[in-house]
Amino acid sequence: MTATAPPITTSRGINWQRLRRRHGWTIGVWLLLAVLIGWYTTLVPNFGSFQVASILKNSQPLIYLAIGQAVIVITGGIDLSVGAMMLLANSTAAVLMDGQPLWLCLLVGLGIVLAAALLNGTVGWVINVSRVPDIVVTLAMSFVLSGLALTVLPSPGGGTAPGFRFIFTGSETGTGEVFWPALVMIIIPTVLVALFLRWTRSGLSLYATGSDRNAAYLSGVSTARAKIVSYGIGGAMAALAGLATVAITGTGDPRYSVGANATLNSVAAIVLGGIALTGGIGSVVGVVAAAVVLFFLSPILSAMRIDPNTAQIIQGALIVLVMMVAGLVELRRRRSQ
Amino acid sequence: MTAEILPVDQTLPGAPPPGRLARTLAEKPLLVLSASLVVLILVTGLIQPSYLTFSGLRNTLLLAAPLAIMAAGQTILLLTGGIDLSVAIIATGAAYVAGNQSPNGAAIAIVLGLMVGVLAGFVNGVGVGVFRVNPLIMTLAMSAILLGLFTWLAQTVLTGSTSVAQFIETVGGGSFFGNRIPWSVLVWAAVALLILWIQHRTGLGRVIYAVGDNPVAVRLSGVRTWRVHVVVYTLCGILAALAGILLAGRTGAVDLQLAQAFLLPSIAAAVIGGTSIFGGVGSYSGTILGALILSVLSQMLTFLSVGQAVQQIVYGLIVLALSWAYARVTAAQ
Repeated sequence: MTATAPPITTSRGINWQRLRRRHGWTIGVWLLLAVLIGWYTTLVPNFGSFQVASILKNSQPLIYLAIGQAVIVITGGIDLSVGAMMLLANSTAAVLMDGQPLWLCLLVGLGIVLAAALLNGTVGWVINVSRVPDIVVTLAMSFVLSGLALTVLPSPGGGTAPGFRFIFTGSETGTGEVFWPALVMIIIPTVLVALFLRWTRSGLSLYATGSDRNAAYLSGVSTARAKIVSYGIGGAMAALAGLATVAITGTGDPRYSVGANATLNSVAAIVLGGIALTGGIGSVVGVVAAAVVLFFLSPILSAMRIDPNTAQIIQGALIVLVMMVAGLVELRRRRSQ
Repeated sequence: MTAEILPVDQTLPGAPPPGRLARTLAEKPLLVLSASLVVLILVTGLIQPSYLTFSGLRNTLLLAAPLAIMAAGQTILLLTGGIDLSVAIIATGAAYVAGNQSPNGAAIAIVLGLMVGVLAGFVNGVGVGVFRVNPLIMTLAMSAILLGLFTWLAQTVLTGSTSVAQFIETVGGGSFFGNRIPWSVLVWAAVALLILWIQHRTGLGRVIYAVGDNPVAVRLSGVRTWRVHVVVYTLCGILAALAGILLAGRTGAVDLQLAQAFLLPSIAAAVIGGTSIFGGVGSYSGTILGALILSVLSQMLTFLSVGQAVQQIVYGLIVLALSWAYARVTAAQ
C-alpha cells in the first residue's frame, strides 16, 4: 500500500455510517422499545420479573405473526389470512390437547405447525399458479380458515396440559414471575428465521424474489419455490402464534374478530419494523421489536389510567404519527442524496 | 403492475392458439362475470325455488346496494393503487351519527352522517397523499381510532341513538313499484352513474387511472398527486358513510358491528370485478357485477342452512375459484 492510496476502511472498529444506513431503522425501533420500557418502569409502582414475564408472554402471538408476515412480505407477497390461521391452530390445539399429557401435546403442537406450513405453502403455490394477487387469495383463505376454525371448535373452550403452558408462559397456570421460557420461545424462532433469511441460499432467494421477481427469475432463482417457502414459513409462524394463544389463555377461541385484528396488527408491526410492503427490504430483528412496541402500548396506556377506548384512539394515532415521521425522514434522505 | 414475463402456464410452446370464444371472453371479461352471476342465480333458484321471484331477487338487491356503494369507493382507491380498510367503521360511525340526529329530521341526520365520511376520508387522504403513509397502515390506524372513538361515543354522547328516522328506514329497506324494487337501488344507480361518469368522462377519472398506473410519470407531468389522493379518499369516505346510513335504514337499528362484515366483501367485490389491486386497471361496471355475485352467493349459503362455519368456508372457496377463473380467462389475451 502506497501513501497515495485512498484510505481504506479497515475491518477494525465499527463503520458507524454503514451501520446506520443499513440497520438504522432496526436500531431505531429497538431504541424506541428501550425508551418505552424505561418509561413504563417509572409508571408502575414496582416493576419486576412479573411485569417482564407478562409482557414477554403476551406479545408472543403478535411477534410470531409478524415474523411470518415479514417473511412473506419480504418475498413480495402479503398474507391477510395469518390471523385466521392462528385461530385454526388455536382451536385445533385446544380441542386435541384438552386433558392430554405433555408429550402428546408437544406432538400435537408439532403436527399443527407442520400441517399449517404445508397448507399455507399450498396457498403460495395457488397464488403462483393462478396469478391471482396475494391479497385476494389470502383474503379468500381467511374466510376458509376461520370457517374451519369454527367447525373444529364452535364456541370458546378446550384446554391444554399445564406443562405446555409452562413452555410458552413460564408458569403452569399462565401467570407467574418466571420469564425465561417466554424469552427463549421468542429468541429461538427469531434467530432461526433471521439466520435462514441471511445465510442460506434459499433465504437469499426470498429477498431476490421480493425485490425484483423478473430479474430473480431470469437469473435462475426459482421464484415459485421462493413463494411457496415464504408462505410455508408464514403458516408455521401463524400456527405457533395459535399454540402460544392456547398456552397463554388455556383455552381456544375461534372468534373471527380476534383473527382479523391479529392480521391487521401483524401488518402494522412489519411496517413499523422496517419491512417495505413492496418487498425485498427489511429484517425480522426489527420486526420483533416493533411487535413488542405495538403490544406494549396498551399496558403503558392502562398504567397511565387511560380508559381502553381512548387508549385505542391514541394507539392508532401514534402508529400514524410514527409512519408520518418515518415518511418525512425517508423523503429528506432521498432529497439529500 | 410490472410487466409479467414469467412463463407460468398458458404460453406453452405446443399449445394451440386460443380459439375465438376464448379471445372474446378475454376481451370482454364482463361476459364471464355476467355468466357466473346468472349461473349462481339459477343454482340458488334450484336450491330454493321461491328465490326466483320478485321478492327473492329484491332481497339480493337490498343486500347488494350498500355493498356495491361501499365497493365503489374501494374500486376508485384500488385504481389509484390505494386501499381503505376503514370503510366498515366509517359506515358504522355514520350510521351512529345519523341515528343520533334522526330526531332533528332526516336531512340533517343524513348530512351529518355523511360528514363522518368526509372527515375520516379527508384525514386518510392527507395521510396517504401528503405524508406518504402506506394506505394499509393509514386506514388501519384510522379504523382503530374510529373504533375507539365510537365505542366511547356510543357509551356517552350517542347513547340511545340506536334507531334511525323513518325516511332513512324507507330508503334503506323499503321498496316501490308494488314492493318489487328497493329504494336503495335508486341511490345505488345514482352512485353508479356518478362513478362511471367520473371514471370515463372527467379529467379526474383519467388522473385516477394514471396515478395507479405510473405515479412517477404523473407527478413529473405536473399533476399534484397528493390532491388526487385527498379527493379519492374523501370520496371513498363519503360512499362508505352513505352505505352505512342505508344499512342502518335496512336493519332499523345501529350497533358497533353494523358494517363490520362488509369490509372484506367490499374489497372482494372490486377485485372479482376485475379491478387490479396494483392500480390502473378496472372499472366500476365490473364491481357492480362483483357485488351482485357476492350478494347472491351469501343468499344461496343462507338457503343451504349449513351453519356459519360452512358458509364461510364455501364463501371463501368460491371467491377464490371466481378470481382464479377470471385471471385465467383474462390472461389468455
